[in-house]
Amino acid sequence: MKISLQSAQSTTPTDITGAGVDEIVRRIGAQLGAVEEVIDWGKQYQGVIVAKVVQCAKHPNADKLSVCLVDDGGVVGNVPRDDNGLVQVVCGAPNVQTGQTVVWLPPGVTVPSTFNSADPFVLDARELRGIVSNGMIASASELGISDDHDGILVIDEAPHPGTPFTQLYQLNDTIIDLENKMFTHRPDCFGTIGVARELAGIQQQQFVSPDWYKNAPVFDTATTKPLSIAVQTSLVPRFSAVVVDKVTIGPSPTWLQADLVKVGMRPINNIVDITNWVMHMTGQPLHAYDYDKVVAVSHSDQVELIARLSKKGDTLSLLNGKSLSFDDDSTILICAGSTPVGIGGVMGGADTEVSKNTKTIVIEAATFDMYSIRKTAMKFGLFTDAVTRFNKGQSPLQTTRALHKAVTFVKEFAGGQVASQLMDHQDQSVQPLSPVSVGLKFINDRLGSSLSISECKQLLENVEFTVTINDDDLVVDVPFWRRDIHIAEDVVEEIGRMYGYDKLPINLPQRSSQATPKNAMMAFKERLRDILTAAGANELLTHSFIHKRILDGAGQSVDNALQLSNAISPDLQYYRISITPSLLDKVHMNTKAGYGTFALYEIGKTHSKKWMNDDGLPIEAQRLALVFAADAKQTTAYEGEAYYQARAYIDMIASALGIILHYVPFADDSDKITHSDTARPFMSKRSAVLRTEQGEVVGVVGEYNALAVKKFKLPEFCAGFELELDALRNTSEVTATRYIQLPKFPKVSQDITLEVDASVVCAEISDTLTVAVDKNAPNDSLVSLHLKDIYEDNGKRRYTFGLVISNYSRTLTAKEVNDLLDVSASELTGILNAVRI
Amino acid sequence: MSYTFKEIIAAKTQLEAEFAALTDKKQIVKNPLLRDLFAKIPTIEASQRALYGGEVNALKQEVTTWLVTTSTKDERAGIDVTAPFAPNTKQRPQVLLSTVGTKHPVNEEIEHITDIFYRMGFTTLESRQLDDDYHMFESLNFPVGHPARDDYDTFMTTDGFIAPAHTSTMQNRALRQYATNLSRAEPIAVVVPDRVFRNEDLDATHEHTFHQIEGVFVNRGVTVGNLIAVLQAYLSEYFGQELKTRIQPFYFPFTEPSFEFAVERPATLRKDNTEAEQWLELGGCGMIHPNVLKMAEIDPTVYTGFAFGFGIERMIMLKHGIEDIRHFMSGKLEFLRQFR
Repeated sequence: MKISLQSAQSTTPTDITGAGVDEIVRRIGAQLGAVEEVIDWGKQYQGVIVAKVVQCAKHPNADKLSVCLVDDGGVVGNVPRDDNGLVQVVCGAPNVQTGQTVVWLPPGVTVPSTFNSADPFVLDARELRGIVSNGMIASASELGISDDHDGILVIDEAPHPGTPFTQLYQLNDTIIDLENKMFTHRPDCFGTIGVARELAGIQQQQFVSPDWYKNAPVFDTATTKPLSIAVQTSLVPRFSAVVVDKVTIGPSPTWLQADLVKVGMRPINNIVDITNWVMHMTGQPLHAYDYDKVVAVSHSDQVELIARLSKKGDTLSLLNGKSLSFDDDSTILICAGSTPVGIGGVMGGADTEVSKNTKTIVIEAATFDMYSIRKTAMKFGLFTDAVTRFNKGQSPLQTTRALHKAVTFVKEFAGGQVASQLMDHQDQSVQPLSPVSVGLKFINDRLGSSLSISECKQLLENVEFTVTINDDDLVVDVPFWRRDIHIAEDVVEEIGRMYGYDKLPINLPQRSSQATPKNAMMAFKERLRDILTAAGANELLTHSFIHKRILDGAGQSVDNALQLSNAISPDLQYYRISITPSLLDKVHMNTKAGYGTFALYEIGKTHSKKWMNDDGLPIEAQRLALVFAADAKQTTAYEGEAYYQARAYIDMIASALGIILHYVPFADDSDKITHSDTARPFMSKRSAVLRTEQGEVVGVVGEYNALAVKKFKLPEFCAGFELELDALRNTSEVTATRYIQLPKFPKVSQDITLEVDASVVCAEISDTLTVAVDKNAPNDSLVSLHLKDIYEDNGKRRYTFGLVISNYSRTLTAKEVNDLLDVSASELTGILNAVRI
Repeated sequence: MSYTFKEIIAAKTQLEAEFAALTDKKQIVKNPLLRDLFAKIPTIEASQRALYGGEVNALKQEVTTWLVTTSTKDERAGIDVTAPFAPNTKQRPQVLLSTVGTKHPVNEEIEHITDIFYRMGFTTLESRQLDDDYHMFESLNFPVGHPARDDYDTFMTTDGFIAPAHTSTMQNRALRQYATNLSRAEPIAVVVPDRVFRNEDLDATHEHTFHQIEGVFVNRGVTVGNLIAVLQAYLSEYFGQELKTRIQPFYFPFTEPSFEFAVERPATLRKDNTEAEQWLELGGCGMIHPNVLKMAEIDPTVYTGFAFGFGIERMIMLKHGIEDIRHFMSGKLEFLRQFR
């Protein structure tokens, strides 16, 4: 919202701009909201001078040029002058005449309309067809105050020659561009009067609204051009309109055009400019229709404007050249008889547009339901100045005031006269808001202030609230332009802002010594990160949304993936079902970037249509996934399959968390874990399901299947895992202390090698041997078995275990240890047909 | 996968045999055996029907996976996954050196920020990555269709869920979860650092996925002055020096009054001494709207509170001079390994 400080000042006798631009901008920042830009409007007119055309003669060498002598009051230095002190300027405009007061751009001055362009045009003295022109006489377009470039700007007022141009039309102005967002609930601040009132309030000054705005309007009344209105929808609480006859369409006064240009609006003609000017002043959008065109399209003698909802089959050509057809009842239309002539509160129709030959106009000032306006604007992509105002919930109590001001201007600047009665529909919602009562303590409690009741009253009255004091309560009457004051907190906001939040005492809340509870899951994740960082892994984050190709590459079905309905790119079509595919997608690029060996991991959330919680929301499963990759050059550094490398990471995590995990081959999976989406990218022959000692499934680990290898361009040496954090954390929390008391007596170490059929897997023989050794060990012993080597040859496997044993009450003899291994080995011979080597 | 129904087990065996013999492997999914099994579902005794149907479906799925796995030929042999290392090897698998290990800078930052807030008495909650309209908007006093919703370009799913555009989506839950604090005369003091999503195009300063931290504080007699003091205390601790804060009126439906807040930019983070470099705009804050408290069943006539929120990536970018926000989610080791 752009505001001209001069226009703001012109609304009130209170001095609201005297503090200076810097101070005003500072105050706005602290007490009203963010300032996006401050524009020194007068800067572009530096050196531009009002001059009088004393003599104007035809150029001897050019039909279309005139040679003028202008009087600048002698204020400009360094220009050649004749004996009378006049300056010669060649002018190409058809309308230049002797006696005119014009705007002269002397040599050295920049053409204002090019001032902010990439290529500013600076005037000089140059010959035009043999005659020197000292600068130029400017058109309104060159001055940047309107689009009119048909001729030079002729000034009707008669300022002295030599007057700086900025002294006219309030051009010595500052434009402040305020951020719109903070006015979401303040439709009144989309009008200059509203902002001017705030400026007074935040400077603790009493604002007085202009009489024409404050006082109830009285309309002329006539019946020469009859008009009736009908409102057939509750989405139009107020609809006011009046006919003005005998208007002459033409440009509006220069000052009015300048006012519009300053705030970024384009002058069109006097009628449209007036409606825009009144809108920018009050925040109330207006629309003018050509009365005769309305009569023509309504196919009826009776001129009736009807506000109703759209229906299937309605069509409308808009002012912006677009044609719309409507297929439901979601849009408010203004119709002449049965013919739509505008979208209410959004944009008028082309067929009833005010144009050059318009003689009679209908001006409408109405209020529309903000939600409906927003929906319509979004549906058709129409974001007009009217939409900006109506979708904030403009007050319905000011339509006739704005309308009356527009009529006054039309009479003054387009020579019209009122030709109908004021037609004014209002429903029962068109009422001032109820007074709000708020206690002084309530205010001070929330602001932390110690304001007196009279201070509060004054702050509110400055912005024209009517306040009565009732003991310790303020009873606040809400002025008709405010629609945002409903509850006591709204009044607190108003008082705080007017007083100045920067002046409030600041102090920390009191607190007890109660310990702040830690978030256990977040702490657990921090712990995992610490473990994995120490294991040389790199944490990455990837998007929660993925492309279908990632699901496909992982062999996951899109049926289970939650799908975005409004994604901006196919890269974000689905919510990921597991983390692994996103990680696999990052392997190749890092290999290509020259990283030979790495371990990438992510801790994140996954979603599936299959997992919903009791509130009907998707369960957010927290996962840790890791992928280890080594490119072809690095593979020689590793013996064995990549699987064991991934497993080393799990073993490390398990040992750091003090838990034991079992590796169950996919082939032995009885709980269909291997059918889950998570297990999909893993290769069944080289993967395991991870289970706790209690049998709870924690995740899967393994190499990736051929499909994934191909789709994600994975190196040959690549494996990883995906773990469920809830299961992992629960297990680590229930695991008791893992400290083992240190035996006082010496340890004995001895290896044992057992040969079995190659089909006997490691877990089987380890578990069996552990059971046998534990069973046969002398009482009170501390036993540890550790796999040292596996040798496979000719259908047989030899497992070598290192036994370390000690006893808490005595020194074990070598014989005891030998016997233990002998007995255990013979038991394994019975169970696994093992041969001790 | 093992099945319990005899005819399904038999069908699987036969399908396996036929699959091995097929030249056009795709034909297997059209095998009439599968169709027959499906056709039989309605005839199965009611108590067994769901189980039977489930197994038929599982078989169909399994058969489909054969197709996927054979479409890319895999020569790799099976291994003993119960062993910690491969047979006939001398080396034992080792994890990588800790010197190359890194945490993601965003998580590192979140650990740092939440640590400060723990010390200030704020506990931590995680946010959600999919939520409903009630938590994202309604419970925060955004009526349906309200234009203030336009400021949040939210992603939606086809099932009507919302990818939260702010961590305020947890405000109602945070207030409810810790409401009992109030009866013990303890404040509700929670921060929520997590992922948020905005439906916008990517460029060097815009990501559709980024991180925010939300704070809520409720107790008897909480004032605007408390809000400013808490922000100032946090920021001074964060930057390791006493800094001024500035608040500027704003509009959010869930706070009244609402502000944007900025902190005096520490000298080391200034490019020059211009006005623009003097303040660092951080985020939004305000006094929690009474309607928001009511929706969490907290009496706004007895309790008041404040909320605040700010972005996380921006501070990291500023600290390290990171030029492109897209690096955070890029998964590039070139980026990640710089944060040791």
